[in-house]
Amino acid sequence: MVEELFSGLPNLERLENFMAMVDEPLYPIAILIDELKNEDLQLRLNSIRRLSTIARALGEERTRKELIPFLSENNDDDDEVLVAMAEELGVFIPYVGGVEHAHVLLPPLETLCTVEETFVREKSVESLCRIGVQMKESDQVDWFIPLVKRLAAGEWFTARVSACGLFHIAYPSAPEQLKAELRSIYTQLCQDDMPMVRRAAATNLSKFAPTVEPSYLKTDIMTIFEDLTHDDQDSVRLLAVEGCAALGKLLEPLDCIAHILPVIVNFSQDKSWRVRYMVANQLYELCEAVGPESTRVELVPAYVRLLRDNEAEVRIAAAGKVTKFCRILNPQLAIQHILPCVKELSSDSSQHVRSALASVIMGMAPILGKDATIELLLPIFLSLLKDEFPDVRLNIISKLDQVNQVIGIDLLSQSLLPAIVELAEDRHWRVRLAIIEYIPLLASQLGVGFFDDKLGALCMQWLEDQVFSIRDAAATNLKRLAEEFGPEWAMQHIIPQVLEKINSTHYLQRITILHTIYLLAPVLGSEITSQSLLPVVVNTTKDRVPNVKFNAAKVLRSLIPILDQSVVEQRVHPCLVDLYEDPDVDVRFFSGLALEVCEQVKLS
Amino acid sequence: MIKQFLSKLPRKNPKPDSPTTFSSPLITEPSISGRRTSSAVFPANFDPLSSLKEAPASEKQSLLISKLNLCTLISHSSNSQPLNETDQELRHQTLIEILDFVNLGSCKFNEQVMEALCNMISAHIFRVLPPSIRSSTVFSPQSAMDIDEDEPAMDPAWPYLQIVYDLLLKFVASSNTDPKAVKKYLDHSFVFRLLELFDSEDPREREALKKILHRIYGKFMVHRPFIRKTVSNIFYRFVFETERHNGIAELLEVLGSIISGFALPLKEEHKMFLVRALIPLHKAKNIGAYLQQLSFSVIQFVEKEPKLAGTVITGLLKYWPATNSQKEVMFLGELEEVLEVTNGVEFQRIMVPLCRRIALCINSSHFQVAERALFLWNNEHIVSLIAQNRQVILTLVYQALERNTRSHWNQAVLNLTLNVRKMFSEMDEELFQMFQSNYEEEEAKAKGVEEKRRLTWERLEAAAKSGPSDPAKNTAVLVTPLIICTPLC
Repeated sequence: MVEELFSGLPNLERLENFMAMVDEPLYPIAILIDELKNEDLQLRLNSIRRLSTIARALGEERTRKELIPFLSENNDDDDEVLVAMAEELGVFIPYVGGVEHAHVLLPPLETLCTVEETFVREKSVESLCRIGVQMKESDQVDWFIPLVKRLAAGEWFTARVSACGLFHIAYPSAPEQLKAELRSIYTQLCQDDMPMVRRAAATNLSKFAPTVEPSYLKTDIMTIFEDLTHDDQDSVRLLAVEGCAALGKLLEPLDCIAHILPVIVNFSQDKSWRVRYMVANQLYELCEAVGPESTRVELVPAYVRLLRDNEAEVRIAAAGKVTKFCRILNPQLAIQHILPCVKELSSDSSQHVRSALASVIMGMAPILGKDATIELLLPIFLSLLKDEFPDVRLNIISKLDQVNQVIGIDLLSQSLLPAIVELAEDRHWRVRLAIIEYIPLLASQLGVGFFDDKLGALCMQWLEDQVFSIRDAAATNLKRLAEEFGPEWAMQHIIPQVLEKINSTHYLQRITILHTIYLLAPVLGSEITSQSLLPVVVNTTKDRVPNVKFNAAKVLRSLIPILDQSVVEQRVHPCLVDLYEDPDVDVRFFSGLALEVCEQVKLS
Repeated sequence: MIKQFLSKLPRKNPKPDSPTTFSSPLITEPSISGRRTSSAVFPANFDPLSSLKEAPASEKQSLLISKLNLCTLISHSSNSQPLNETDQELRHQTLIEILDFVNLGSCKFNEQVMEALCNMISAHIFRVLPPSIRSSTVFSPQSAMDIDEDEPAMDPAWPYLQIVYDLLLKFVASSNTDPKAVKKYLDHSFVFRLLELFDSEDPREREALKKILHRIYGKFMVHRPFIRKTVSNIFYRFVFETERHNGIAELLEVLGSIISGFALPLKEEHKMFLVRALIPLHKAKNIGAYLQQLSFSVIQFVEKEPKLAGTVITGLLKYWPATNSQKEVMFLGELEEVLEVTNGVEFQRIMVPLCRRIALCINSSHFQVAERALFLWNNEHIVSLIAQNRQVILTLVYQALERNTRSHWNQAVLNLTLNVRKMFSEMDEELFQMFQSNYEEEEAKAKGVEEKRRLTWERLEAAAKSGPSDPAKNTAVLVTPLIICTPLC
C-alpha cells in the first residue's frame, strides 16, 4: 500500500490525505455498508468483489457474527451485484473459520436462491453445492438438509426450482428416514403445479439419481421418471429424454430394457418434434446401455424412423449422429438399415440436413471398410460434393482425411477439383475463407503433384482477393504449404509468383505481399530470406505510399533475428536509417522500433 | 378413402345421394391414404356428403354431426402423412358448408353437436407448431442473412385453419349454448392447448386466437383463474427461460381488457400478477414487440390503484437497460406514461432513485436517449410534480444538466438542456443560483471522495493482510513497507 503511495511522483497532498486517514479508526463493516449504498452500480460491484478483503480485515469471528448477517439482510440490490455476492460466498469457507463454521454461509445464499433472476439463483445453487459437499455429515443434517426442505416448500416457484439442484448434495449424508422424506419431496417437485419447477426437477434428475440406492432407483426414481415422460408440456418431456441415457447407465441392462427402452421408443414417436429431436440427438448413447440385441430390434427401427422424420429439424439431428450410431452397430446392420436412409438424406430437400450429413458421413468409411465404402458410400460422397449448397461441399472436403485412409484419394480427386475451384470462387467470402483453411489439409492428402498442377494457381489468386480476411488467410496458407512441402519446393513454386506481385499498382496488394514475406521468412530460413526476400523488402522501403513503407519497416524488424549479423549491418540497417528520416510519422515510428531491435542484436 | 367411408354407411335415405355428388371428381379418384373407420362415427348414419341446405329440418342436426365427424377424420394430425389433394379439397368444402350453416344461426348447439364440434376443432388446430425458421438449430451466416426479420411467417394451411377458427369463434360467441354443457367440452385441457398456440408464427392465427380467448375469458368464469395462471406461466418461461415467444403481444392485449375490467379494490392476487408476471416482462430484449400492450396493461393497474405507481416505477428501474439505447428510449416513453397517472405522494416515494436514473439518461451520449429524457419536461403533469419537489430533484439532476451544457456533442440535446435549465431557473431563481455557484465545488468534492475511497480500500487491504483489525497491527503494517521502499524514494 505504502509502496504504491510512494511510487511515481511523490504527491504531497496525497500523502497528507493518507496520513490524516491513518489516524482515523478503520471500520471494515462500515466501509462496506457505505459502499453498498453508493448509487454507482460499478462501485457496489467492486466492493462485493472485495468481500474477502473485508472478511480478512474483520477476522473469522467477526465475519461470522457481523459480516454474514449483514449480507443476509442486504440483498435487495441489482442482480449483477447479487450474482457477484453468490459467487463470492461460494468460496468463503476459509474466511469464516473453516468447514466447521461453513453453515453460517447458508442463510444469505438461501435468500439468494429465491430471487427472480435465473442467473442469481443458478449461481447461488452452485455455491451452495460447493459449500455443501465440504460440510461435515452431521452439519449437513443439521443445516443443509433443512435448507433444502425449506426451499422445496417455498411459496414462490423460484425457491422450489433452486431446491431441485441441491438434492444430490443433501441426499447421501441423510439418515434413512430423512432419505425417504427427500425422495418423496423430489417426487412432489416433479409433479409441481408450475412447469418451471417440473423442468428443473427433470433437469436435475440425472444428478440426483446416481446418489440414490439401487433398490430405490428401480422404484421411486423410475416412478418419478415415468411421470415426467408423460408430462403434457413438451418442454418437460424433452428434458426427460435427457434423463434416459443417464438413467440407462445406472440401471442393470435388463432393467434398462424393461423400463427405459419402451420410453425412448415412445419418445421417438412423440407428437412434438422437439422431443423427437432430443431423441435423435441422444439415441446412440442408449445403445450401449441396452446391449446389441435390443439395439437391433428396437433402436435401429426407431432411429430409421427419425432419419425419415417429417420435420427437417429432427432429420438434421439424426443425420448428424449417423456415424456415431453406426459405430455401435455391426457393419452388416449399418449397411442393411442405415445406409438406405443415408442415401435418401443425401438428396434431402433441406440443405441443412444435407449439410449435417456431409459433416459426419466421411467418418462412416472406416466403419464400413474399403469395399462397402467404394461400392456404397462413394456415390454419396460424389453427389454431396456436387451439392448446390456450399456448406455441404465444404463439410465433405473438411473430413477428406478420414476417407483417404480407407480408399485413397484417387477415386475422389476427379470430382474434388471442380468442387474446390467452385468454392474458391464463391461469392460469399466466408465460404472462400473456409476452403482456404482446408487447403493445407488437402495438399497433405493429395500430394505435391496434384497440388502443383491444380491448386497452385488458386492459392496465388487469393492473394489478390477483394476481402482482407481472404488475403490474410491466403498468406497464412502459403506459409503452411511451405511448412508442409519444405523450403526447396517453396522456392520453386511459391516464391517467384509471390515476389512478382510486389509490382502491383495497388498499395494494398503490395502490403499483402509484405505480410506474406513476413510469414514465410521464418519457414524458409536465413539463406533464402537474405537472397530472395530481403531485396524485395528493401525495395519497398522506397515506395511512394507511407503505409507500404512502415509495413516494410515492420517486416524488416521481424527479419532481423532471422538474418545474419553482417547482412543486418550492411543491408537492413542503412535502409532503416533512411526510413527514420521519413516525413511520415508512422514510418519514423516503426523504423525506430526496428532500429531498436538492431541495436539489441548488436549488443548481444 | 371416401368410398371406404361410404361403403360402410348403410344408407338410410338414398335420396340425398344424388348422382351429382357421386360423380364429382372428389370421389371417383381413389384415395391412397386408407383409414379404417366404423359406422359408429356417424351416429345417425347420415351420409356426410349430402347437402345440409337441402336436408329436411329434422335431420339437419344429425347431418351436421356426421359432417363434423368426417372433418375430424380428415385432419392432418390423425395421420403423419400429408393429406392428398382430394381429401384437402373435400375437407375445405365441408368446412365451408358447416360454417355457412352455423352462420345462418339455425344451428342449435346441443351436446352431441358440441362434442363433435370440439373434437373436430381439436383435431385441426391443436398441433405441434413447426420449428421456427429463426430459431433453427442450424445456423449458417448465409441462411441467417436471407431471413427477413420483419417478414411474418405465413402458415400455408391457414385458408382452411381460418374456417376452423371462425367456427370456434362462432361457437364460443353463440348465445345459443348452455355454458354448463359447454364446459364439459371446452375444458381446462382445451383452454391450455389453445393458449399454447399463441406461439404460432402466423399473425393471422394469433389474431384469431386472441378473439377467441377474449370470448372464453368473458363467458366462462370457471376458466378465468386457470387462464391467468397459464398465461403467467407462459410469461415466466419467456422471461426466465427462453426469451422466445411469438404471441406475447396478443396475450397482453387480451389481458389489457381483462385488467381494465378488474373490480375495485384490486385483489391481492391481481397485484401479485402485476409484480410477478407483468413487470418482469420488461427484462426481455425484444420488448419492442409488445411494449405498447404491456404499457397499457401496467397503466390500467396504476389507474385503478394509484399506490402501484411506485411499484411499477421501481420495477422499471430494476430492469432498466444497461447497454441497449433503443430499449432505453422505450423505457423513457413508458415512464412518462406512468408518471402521467402518478400522484404527488407516490412520486415523492420514488423520486430519488428515479431522478438519479433520469440524470444518467440526460448525460447519455446517445442523443435519442438524452433527448427523450429531456422531453419529460414537456409534460405539464410531470413538470408540476417536479416543481413541487424542486429542491430534491435539482440536487439530483443539476450536475447532469450542467455537464450537458458544457460538453454534450449534440446540438438538439444542448438546446433542450438549456430549456430545462431555464425552466428550473424560472421556477425558483434563488435555488437555481445556489446550485450554479456550488457546481465547481461539488465537482471537486466528488474527486476528493473518489480519492478517499481508493485510500480507504488500500488501508483495508493492508489491514486484511495483517489479519483482524487491531490498532497495534495497523501501525506495524505501515512501518514494514516504508522500510522496504526507502531506498527507492
